[in-house]
Amino acid sequence: MGSLFFLAGQSLRHRRGQTAVLVFGLAVPIYLVLAVNGLVLRYQDSLVRRAEATPLVAGGPGSRFDLVLHALYFRGRVPHPLKMADLAAMRETGYALPIPLHVRHTARRFPVVGTTLDYFAFRRLEVAVGGQLLQLGDCVLGAAAAAELRLGPGGRLPTDPDNLFDLAGSYPVKLLVRGVLSSAGTPDDRAVFVDLKTAWLLDGLCHGHADVTGTNTEAALLLARTATNVTAGAAVPEDTEVTPGNIASFHLHGDPADLPVSAVLPVAPDARSATLLRGRYQAPESTVQILAARGVVEELLGLVLRIKRFFDANALLVAVSTGLFLILVVLLSLRLRRAEMETLFRIGCARGFTVRLVGLELGLVASMALLVAGAGIAITFALAPAW
Amino acid sequence: MMISVENLVFHHPRSTFTLRVPSLRVGKGERVALTGPSGAGKTTLLNLIAGVLLADQGVIRVGGVEPARLGQAGRRAFRVRTLGLVFQDFQLLEYLGVGENILLPCRINPALKPGPAARERARELARRTGIEHRWEHRPARLSQGEQQRVALCRALVARPPCVLADEPTGSLDLATKTRVVDLLLEECAQTGASLLMVTHDPALPARFDRTISLGEGG
Amino acid sequence: MVRRIVILGWLVALLAGCGRVETRPEARPARGLPRVCATSYPLAFFAGRLAEGDAEVSFPAPGDQDPAFWRPSEAVIRQFQQADLILLNGADFEKWVNTTSLPMAPLVDTSVAFKSEWILFPEVITHSHGPQGAHSHGNIDFNTWLDPILAVRQMGVVAGALRRIAPADEAGLRRREGELRRDLIELDRELRELGPRLRGRPLLASHPVYGYLARRYQWDLASVHWEPDEPVTPAQWVAFDTLRAGHPGRLMIWEEAPLPAVAAGLAERGVRPVVFRTCGNRPPAGDYLAAMHENIRVLREAAAAGP
Repeated sequence: MGSLFFLAGQSLRHRRGQTAVLVFGLAVPIYLVLAVNGLVLRYQDSLVRRAEATPLVAGGPGSRFDLVLHALYFRGRVPHPLKMADLAAMRETGYALPIPLHVRHTARRFPVVGTTLDYFAFRRLEVAVGGQLLQLGDCVLGAAAAAELRLGPGGRLPTDPDNLFDLAGSYPVKLLVRGVLSSAGTPDDRAVFVDLKTAWLLDGLCHGHADVTGTNTEAALLLARTATNVTAGAAVPEDTEVTPGNIASFHLHGDPADLPVSAVLPVAPDARSATLLRGRYQAPESTVQILAARGVVEELLGLVLRIKRFFDANALLVAVSTGLFLILVVLLSLRLRRAEMETLFRIGCARGFTVRLVGLELGLVASMALLVAGAGIAITFALAPAW
Repeated sequence: MMISVENLVFHHPRSTFTLRVPSLRVGKGERVALTGPSGAGKTTLLNLIAGVLLADQGVIRVGGVEPARLGQAGRRAFRVRTLGLVFQDFQLLEYLGVGENILLPCRINPALKPGPAARERARELARRTGIEHRWEHRPARLSQGEQQRVALCRALVARPPCVLADEPTGSLDLATKTRVVDLLLEECAQTGASLLMVTHDPALPARFDRTISLGEGG
Repeated sequence: MVRRIVILGWLVALLAGCGRVETRPEARPARGLPRVCATSYPLAFFAGRLAEGDAEVSFPAPGDQDPAFWRPSEAVIRQFQQADLILLNGADFEKWVNTTSLPMAPLVDTSVAFKSEWILFPEVITHSHGPQGAHSHGNIDFNTWLDPILAVRQMGVVAGALRRIAPADEAGLRRREGELRRDLIELDRELRELGPRLRGRPLLASHPVYGYLARRYQWDLASVHWEPDEPVTPAQWVAFDTLRAGHPGRLMIWEEAPLPAVAAGLAERGVRPVVFRTCGNRPPAGDYLAAMHENIRVLREAAAAGP
């Protein structure tokens, strides 16, 4: 057996190029099939788990897929956000605690998720380093976001302007990092969490500036002044960083009941309450839709997997044709080695030995292909996001 | 008697050549030179004796065994146990170095092992034929004469009872030729092996116990 | 050697197929008594009376600061965040909440149920941004607890919240709620009794914080914006005299005793200062009820002393 391994190894080493072609020719289809299917299964599993962990999602009218992807994965925007009044009405039903989400902005391309401390308890997210949100202008980073941004407690993270072509319409703020969350293996790892009020700050609905109602305010900063109201102009400098010195100056304009919330996670204490809550909003004229996240995700997966079948068929054809080419390469290779086989025959090598020698070479090639494919799969799974 | 051939007739399947050998004998430990013009069938005779080819008529016995009566597997086993073969076209494995080519019979013979003793024997043979310094080199890097010497060492490494050599000195210079023939004759003398060697060199047969000459066309 | 590589290869392929194992943090272990944090002293008082040992009630604002304008430290904010119940007065009392992160679940606004009854200060100057910018609301009078009837409603909300977090002694809670309601209604009765003595008499106040009392008990009250620990400027005296020209009050209600110079100025004008503590923070002596009874007694005596 040792001689067989030795001769097979020497033969493969001598024909490095051919061996490499065979190894990669075999490894690539194996990798593609296993890696793609593995990743699809993994993502399918993580999508379903995320949906199971979020029984209900509420939002304004519009695509249910958009709403669920927005609420669970912080992706995209919803066309019709809810208002705080909707949230209050939902809470008044007594059937659920409505956890608000307001996701409209990014900070170095990571989604900025405005919410309340209840979200962290709901998702069982623990702070690993530093502390929780304390006040306006604070943020807490998901584990992956913190690692990529190389930020920790005390760091500053500027938010991205909404529109590079309308900087005046954006309200970027330098957030203060209070803490970093433990890794959860969910989209929360790549989020920048802020208090809901901070999200409104980024919307421009809340801001801080010096008091303009005083009589010694520069006239150039004002558009008009009456006995009961002062209209401030755009020249009034607004604070882009919340500090202990200016936090008291931050205020909201407009009716708090009208403040926007892009999605809500109603957390019902039991299935009965969840059902009753959904029943409340089932009327066609309702401006609030409440969805069972799992159902929507499964529907979405069904659509995706239907398409995947075409890709699977394609992959199968590619694998078959690759296999046929590899067989051809092997047969041609054996033909080229006829002289070697003749030598072995002449000096009295048993046929079984020759067969085992060729078989072992093919086995080694297959093993190396599996090794390469396995390494590729391991690297892919290690590098691919968990969700 | 090591080799005995009686009333041998062989028709080459792809030509009109016919080899006829009424009788040929090589005794145990006897060293016989086989001469004859090109095309006489010397190589064919060696292949028939080795069981690589099967005669149409006649009987060939080697070491008391009739290879024609053995199956394919039997003839292969017979060759690896009984014969040391030196081919005219060397037939080395291109992916093995000199040392491993020499040791090849020890790897394919289930009764042998390419252990330290075999390696020492291989090295000694290489040293005596002047190719030890090429131990790791593959055939592509060797001259024809060096390849021929490797083939010779391979044939002798397992100390076979019978050596069939087909022009083992054809590509060698005079000094090396002498050295190689000396080795061959000494080894056979030491091991008591029979030697049947094809040669075109007119000076060599004188060093053998006997010369057999094949006529043209067998 | 080659055999080892093959085995290693199979091992790698096997491991690559293993899925990630997600770990979730363990649920927090149960704590002792439920923790209640209040943003104003009256709410802390109500919660303390109602809970009576079934909950830990705290009111972290320092005694020397006005809780309406106090900004808690990071440690105190964390204390609020960890509470099982956070009692807010609402009506824009605790301005620090607008810029602080607190969980929604334990948060209870005790005055939102009567939001339509909140008093706004129309004379405060607001500001807006741009010609189409939204206008900020005028300041809201947050001293809702001074009106015993509104205090009863706030107390009811506190009781309901305590019922949810410490449901063990329902009967005891109901009994204590009844007792406290009776105590607050007694305040209302005393203030109603005072009503006829103050009817038709213009009253003055150093600060516009008595609006709910004035509305409930139909006081004819006009207010200035004076601080008890600050002197009154000549311009302010002029404005005061102008006010008194149309509203000739001779009793002026103060949150705390004014400076002697101010009291002297008032005396010159025939105006008598009367201290009626707002009780937003802990009173110097006694509790909320004791302080309110004392307020009513002082006002009754001042009203009885003459025009």
